[in-house]
Amino acid sequence: MLLVLDSNEFIFGFGFARKPSSEALLDTITEAPTHTIRIPRLIIEEVGRHLTPEEFREFIEYIISLTAIDEDFVVPFELGSKYEADGLKPADAFIAAYVEWTGADALVTENRHFLRQHDNLPFRVLNAADCIKTMKAFR
Amino acid sequence: MKQNLKKAKRHLAKLRELVSKRKHPLTEVKEEKVLETLRKTREELWDKKFAART
Repeated sequence: MLLVLDSNEFIFGFGFARKPSSEALLDTITEAPTHTIRIPRLIIEEVGRHLTPEEFREFIEYIISLTAIDEDFVVPFELGSKYEADGLKPADAFIAAYVEWTGADALVTENRHFLRQHDNLPFRVLNAADCIKTMKAFR
Repeated sequence: MKQNLKKAKRHLAKLRELVSKRKHPLTEVKEEKVLETLRKTREELWDKKFAART
């Protein structure tokens, strides 16, 4: 599966606030080559805001061991506008547009409200626990 | 892009070790508070990026 992880999955998965499902999600991604992630610069910066320089260096090394970092400007403006017109805040619209642009199977987030009221999305919105179940079924 | 899972595992373990050794404002707070903090971070960063373009 190709996944985009929201910043909260990294924060929970690194152990700032205990969330076993998010920790297990990062473990699964780090152990199974059948599942890959994509990440935009914005999420790198969001997570980085909460890390010390030493932690940030480990975070970057972790990410570049798994995937390349996509610059935000690669996402077509029109895709973001579509989600903004649907009522999302600009930054959330960008994340939704990024997930669509990558062709990912799912956006993984613990934010229950994010995109869940939107029908006909070209990707699924899952929390870590449901994502792990889906990944197991995918194997 | 070729994944290096062994290296990723090592850095994830090191990062968790570093995080476990310090008290952070997001530690021991409710999940909703963490999500709210991250929402604010996203909005601030986006505003900064957008302001830089105009």
